[in-house]
Amino acid sequence: MSIKNLIICIVILAGLVALPHFLAYNFQDLLIFLAVNVLVVVSYRLVTLTGEWSLIHVVMMGVGAYASAMLSKMAGFPFWISMPIAGLTAATIAALLCFPLFRMTQFYFLIGSFAAGEAIRLVWIYFIDPFGGSSGINNLPPPELGDIDFYEPIPYFYMTLIIVTISLFILYRIEKSRVGLTLNAVHWKAPLAESVGVDTWKYRSLALIVGSFFVGIAGALKVHYLGVVTPHQFGIGVMVFVLIWVIVGGYASFVGPIIGVVVLTVFDQGLRASGIVDPAVQPAVYGAVLIASILFMPEGLEGIGKRFFSKSSGENA
Amino acid sequence: MALLEVKNVTKQFGGLTALNDVSFSVEKGEIRGLIGPNGAGKSTMFKNIAGFYTPTKGEVIYDGQNIAGAHPCKVSGMGLVRTFQETTLFDEMSVFENALVGCHMTARSNLFSAIFGSDRQRQKIAAEKTMDVLEFMGLADRKDQLASELPLGSQRALAMAISLNADPKVLLMDEPFAGMNPEETNHMMDLTRKLQDKGITIVLVEHDMKAVMGLCGYLTVLCFGSLLAEGTPEEIRNNEKVIQAYLGGGS
Amino acid sequence: MELFLQSIVNSLIQGGFFALWAVGLVLIFGVMGVVNFAHGELVMVGAYTVWLLHAQNDVPFLIAIPVAIIIAMMIGLVMERFLFRPNRTDPLAGLICSIGVLFILQVIAHEVGGTGPAKQVAPPFNQIVEIGESLRIPMQRLFSLGVAIASLGVLWFFLTKTKLGWALRAVALDREASALQGININRISMIAIGVGAAMAGLAGALMAPLQNITPHMGHNVIITAFIVTIVGGVGSLSGAVAAAFIYAAFHTFVTAYFNGTVATICGLLIMVVVLIIKPTGIMGVKVSE
Ligand SMILES: Nc1ncnc2c1ncn2[C@@H]1O[C@H](COP(=O)(O)OP(=O)(O)OP(=O)(O)O)[C@@H](O)[C@H]1O
Ligand SMILES: [Mg+2]
Repeated sequence: MSIKNLIICIVILAGLVALPHFLAYNFQDLLIFLAVNVLVVVSYRLVTLTGEWSLIHVVMMGVGAYASAMLSKMAGFPFWISMPIAGLTAATIAALLCFPLFRMTQFYFLIGSFAAGEAIRLVWIYFIDPFGGSSGINNLPPPELGDIDFYEPIPYFYMTLIIVTISLFILYRIEKSRVGLTLNAVHWKAPLAESVGVDTWKYRSLALIVGSFFVGIAGALKVHYLGVVTPHQFGIGVMVFVLIWVIVGGYASFVGPIIGVVVLTVFDQGLRASGIVDPAVQPAVYGAVLIASILFMPEGLEGIGKRFFSKSSGENA
Repeated sequence: MALLEVKNVTKQFGGLTALNDVSFSVEKGEIRGLIGPNGAGKSTMFKNIAGFYTPTKGEVIYDGQNIAGAHPCKVSGMGLVRTFQETTLFDEMSVFENALVGCHMTARSNLFSAIFGSDRQRQKIAAEKTMDVLEFMGLADRKDQLASELPLGSQRALAMAISLNADPKVLLMDEPFAGMNPEETNHMMDLTRKLQDKGITIVLVEHDMKAVMGLCGYLTVLCFGSLLAEGTPEEIRNNEKVIQAYLGGGS
Repeated sequence: MELFLQSIVNSLIQGGFFALWAVGLVLIFGVMGVVNFAHGELVMVGAYTVWLLHAQNDVPFLIAIPVAIIIAMMIGLVMERFLFRPNRTDPLAGLICSIGVLFILQVIAHEVGGTGPAKQVAPPFNQIVEIGESLRIPMQRLFSLGVAIASLGVLWFFLTKTKLGWALRAVALDREASALQGININRISMIAIGVGAAMAGLAGALMAPLQNITPHMGHNVIITAFIVTIVGGVGSLSGAVAAAFIYAAFHTFVTAYFNGTVATICGLLIMVVVLIIKPTGIMGVKVSE
């Protein structure tokens, strides 16, 4: 990471630490979910690095959320232990799913991952014991640490911010390392990668497992703030939002998906606040944005930003 | 003992027999030509050797081991590396990154070292080695360009660079000179000889007869999936059956 | 015994619907290479059209059906022309666009129908056919089954006996080769999505009097259509139709004797197993490189 980027990161972090104090209560809530969603999209990007678009990511988030919820509610585990186990559980389930899923590629993988995810979700709905059926599990305890009140959004946001920042740092390191290079190679030409000794199956699995680990943690972060976990928080509709964020932001770079989720969340709040658009109509606006971004900006917002900046720096030269 | 021995390999696709009971062996250090008219089964033979296809029947003995049906990444890990007939590159990656992927076997890292940067030294060596290979292939000054933006001749050279960076003991080259102009071809022929001097055994599939005759000490001819003839370039040039096959087969 | 016979009849009727849902998906995927995630919404649009015209505005059922078909078809054509055609080289982009359409159609349905409970359409045919002593089948269901089978028959005739049908199948088999043969891919794609969307609209129209109509009813449709398509072998229409009836029987019986959710879970698992055994479907085995 260059000095310039490091400074930008520090400034952004400092801004984020200050930000909640200027926001109303409900926007503080929102900030927590935004931070969680940033982790969701960035971990999803790791999965897509190998070129396979999975539709199970949000369900993996649910796997983590349920694991943490059940451990803390039924076995009395503190959040600090149930949260990492949430990540590990999601990673383990992902590892098991690799065997069937990575026998498929492209559409078959997409549909296979969708089917596997729906099956998991239906299991949560069907087995009232222990998953609580449609209404899920509620009254989840918040984290405990000294006398910090994690029912309050600001402390919870700070905790989330720390965990998400560490996770993003790790994911960034992975992407910029030789492992990331190999994942990219598997994406662009799997047979060529195999011809120089890359076990493509192993790398695809690695991406799915690591991505699931982090999204599992995101799931735990989300439901312990809400206090409730239900199967509907992890439906295909939510997965579609993840796709929208990633695509509108631009999936070709690390920051693209982050830009996507931040810009669209602000846009969403703007729409709500302006009162122009009835909340019921909002999904259609999202649909239109999605289509427009595919048709008119294939590289996403990030691509547009890049083009803009490279043009202006070209003029300076 | 031969370094690479193909024993009675048959490959069928449904009803089509692409290779029919083919046997030949390649000695360490030679440049072997594998020639034949279009559709003779040359590329199919390479894929069977390199693990991309599993032979319907027969064995591929490499370094004393039967590798028929082994996974491609295992085969290449043992030092048997193929190139591709069609230009095959990591399109949206830079020339340097393309070649860097090639040294996967010696430089791969795990999650731990990826996150903590604990194998920095090894990655530095890999980068230097990659630059050497790019230098060797004459691509060093294009190292930051996207692979997809290179002219065709350089793309072929880059494909070679990727394979070379994998430290092959045996290199299966599938039409490396296709799409090159005469000058580039001559240059590549020189490079190929240098590879032989480095101790790399080469099996060359190529339609450019001048190149084949100039490089190879011994030729194996396939036709309609069967072994048609073997011999020195001189013998093959005068072989009635081969002349017939090429006249009848088009090419 | 009664439950058993009733379940057999129900599976046949379900099978007809499943087949109508799936053939459209298969046609569109086969010819255009796009997974149309909005396919379930086309069915939903068909159902809403019947609700709006027949239940709300007293248009005769038999007129509402063709209108539903035409509306679904028009939506399909617009999708092909403006979303799938520009993205022909990137099937993922086509899929994502179809997700966008899915959202838009759901919102339109929501706006048209308003909030409140799920919509219902009183069956226009309310006779009951009695067979033997215990088996009673509502006329409405028989009608749906008949129309479904008839339209599948027409589709089969179109695909196997007409020149256009042959061209369509040629494109599904090998798009590039067909283009070289001078087949107009864009035209064939319009026909494929037109036919596929029409089938979906018809299915929705036929289902309208038989089940609750909600903006989200497409979800179930697309899951079932995926299962049927994959199990039947991607790209194979007859396979999809056969799989539709088999899966319908399976689903109906597990639902009748056990539980509907379990039936769907099993269906999804079967689909994953099929994907494992034959990851590329029945048609064309693609090997690496
Ligand atoms: N995956 C496959 N499925 C079916 N048939 C195949 C497959 N791969 C190759 N064939 C057939 O096997 C035969 C040999 O093909 P191959 O590509 O090995 O020929 P080749 O000698 O490399 O020809 P060329 O000089 O044109 O590259 C051809 O008839 C080809 O159509
Ligand atoms: Mg060949």
